[in-house]
Amino acid sequence: MILEILKKVLRVSRALFVKSPAQEDVRFTKMHTSSRYRGKHSIDYETCIGCDSCNKICPTGAITMKHLPFKKQNIVPEVNLSICIFCGLCEDVCPTKPHKSIVLSGGRYDMISGGWHKDQEDFWVHVDIPQSYIDARLEEEEAARVKKELAAKKKAAEAAAAKAQEGEES
Amino acid sequence: MDDLKNIFSLFDTEYITEYKTSWLKVKLSFSSNLLDVAQMLQKNGLRTISTISPTDFIDENKIEMNYFFEDLVTKRNCWLKCDIPRELKHCKIESLSNLFKGALWHEREAYSMFGVKFLNHPDLRPIILSQDYYNKFPFRKDFDWQEHEKNSVENMNLIVESFQEEEHLSENKLDPNSSEMILNWGPTHPASGPIRLKVHCDGEDILGIDPDIGFVWRALEHLVTQKDFVGAIVAVERLCFMDNINSMVCYAQAVEEIAEIEITEFAKWMRVLLGEVGRISSHMMGMGGFYNAMGLHTVAMWNMDMRELFLDFLESYSGARIATASVEAGGVRYGLAPEMLEELQKALDKFDATKEDIKNIFINNPTMKMRAAKLGILTQDEVQEYALCGVVARASGVKTDIRIDEPYAAYDQIELEYVTQKGGSAKDRLFQLFEEIEQSVSIIKQAKKHIEQKIEEGEFNPTKDYMVKMPKKLPKGEAIARVEWARGEVLMHLVTQEKAKSPYRLKMKAPSFNHTMMVEHLLKGETLSDIPLVFGSLYICQGDLDR
Repeated sequence: MILEILKKVLRVSRALFVKSPAQEDVRFTKMHTSSRYRGKHSIDYETCIGCDSCNKICPTGAITMKHLPFKKQNIVPEVNLSICIFCGLCEDVCPTKPHKSIVLSGGRYDMISGGWHKDQEDFWVHVDIPQSYIDARLEEEEAARVKKELAAKKKAAEAAAAKAQEGEES
Repeated sequence: MDDLKNIFSLFDTEYITEYKTSWLKVKLSFSSNLLDVAQMLQKNGLRTISTISPTDFIDENKIEMNYFFEDLVTKRNCWLKCDIPRELKHCKIESLSNLFKGALWHEREAYSMFGVKFLNHPDLRPIILSQDYYNKFPFRKDFDWQEHEKNSVENMNLIVESFQEEEHLSENKLDPNSSEMILNWGPTHPASGPIRLKVHCDGEDILGIDPDIGFVWRALEHLVTQKDFVGAIVAVERLCFMDNINSMVCYAQAVEEIAEIEITEFAKWMRVLLGEVGRISSHMMGMGGFYNAMGLHTVAMWNMDMRELFLDFLESYSGARIATASVEAGGVRYGLAPEMLEELQKALDKFDATKEDIKNIFINNPTMKMRAAKLGILTQDEVQEYALCGVVARASGVKTDIRIDEPYAAYDQIELEYVTQKGGSAKDRLFQLFEEIEQSVSIIKQAKKHIEQKIEEGEFNPTKDYMVKMPKKLPKGEAIARVEWARGEVLMHLVTQEKAKSPYRLKMKAPSFNHTMMVEHLLKGETLSDIPLVFGSLYICQGDLDR
């Protein structure tokens, strides 16, 4: 009996020596962070192959594909964060290697904090492609097209020449 | 099992097969035999109906009824099927509610969602749905959701009008000279959550309670069929956030069974580990909820403090604290890093350090005992009759725990015993919650030790083993999976079609549905001040109540 009471007194008196959690100033303690934290997306338009997988898997339809003026790899995802539930499935299915083109793990948590928002546009992850990149890609495509055309022409000319030769021979 | 088979030899059946370890799967040729069969099953000890799940086969023009009978004592279960016509006029079947009281609401649900008319049901009103869905039967495959959405203003008006009408009716019905009234407890009561209890009371004596549910109905069972098998996990986990992991485990098991895929040993152990963390985080909220209903918020605060560390582990593992989406068919979604287990150890240490205080101050609390020990008593018979499960069932002394009865994941390799109480009162349910947290902690310790050991021995590769490849298209089939969720048994019935990319039908049986049924039974004759306490002790979550 006395032992019990002593135990209880000891247990309660421990509170005198332990700092109460309420006294801790959490403003200056670091919050828990995780490298897998699923936050705001970052989209790499240069590596994206435009396969549409992320759009297909998205369970809430938060992803829309933006059309680009190219012939190949001509779509790139954009995310509406007010619909997104941050499940991370888009990142899971992204096939590009070694780095995924759409990544939300390690993203920022404060995407909707920081003042007032008046526009839904603030909750979009847009892909801003610089004009120089578009021009370069278009030039590249043009060059490839010209090269292909030239090659085709050359081939056609060669074929015609070969035919003509055949005709002469016969 | 043989005596069950003997019963079915008396009737015309299409097939009788044994399914899993404890199930007998039977399809009746004629739905007219159902009542007789059910009667004989009940005499044989199968006193519980877990759930009723209709499946709408629109191409074959039939609705297939699935009844899940369980025996909580001998652990024999029976999955009974029969076909009924699909046309609304002939879509009828005999009600089992008079035999199995637990079927009362499940039949109402089947009626509201599929239009299956249950003959001789004592109270066949729509449930869960709001008035604008009445008599439209939204889970039928030919229901047009978009068309319904177009009239959202009219729908809203209809709900308001019906509410006003109902208020008038309930006032007209009551004697103006008496002190009787209908009191709305919820949906904005601090202890209620989104549920409305229509309390018919005389002064402070409760004469009857009619729960109005469906405030957070998201039609998850329909939503799942709109997504592919992977994307469906985000709908399934929203059964309830507090323990989101075990519900995904259940769904994943059903998918794996149809795909006939065996997951890796490491993934099985991870499911145990994550599942128990989910259970702890839910139970801690449950304990807090119980005491909040009594007006003491300290427990909730202390528990939150501990729970944060468990959530830290979930965040490190999956990248989200609450909606983890961390279990997929084929295993678990992420690999494991050793520092995550260190974080888990921190949480366990914190629990061990706080455990004694909580026990001394709140569990052995004389005031709480005085208040709660004689309230909301559920007997073992009632548990079986009303198909109660989980914490509520075990607090009444019924030995039921899916982790032991039908081991899944790696639970067959874990030392685990039934934790039960004797009284079945509100107090016992609080005790049960706390003891189950202790049990979960011991399971986590076992699982953690095992995983660490196997990684050291080189048998587990935590960065690679977590997932096996799943086929994109599943064959035609159906499966049921059961898990011991934080709140009790979750049973999922998954049906797929040929070359399926998404589920054809997923029925989720969630425990709170049955537990809310008990509110009236427990509170009739008590006083108004007992509502929060009994309601809080039943450990109800509206997420899985409404789905």
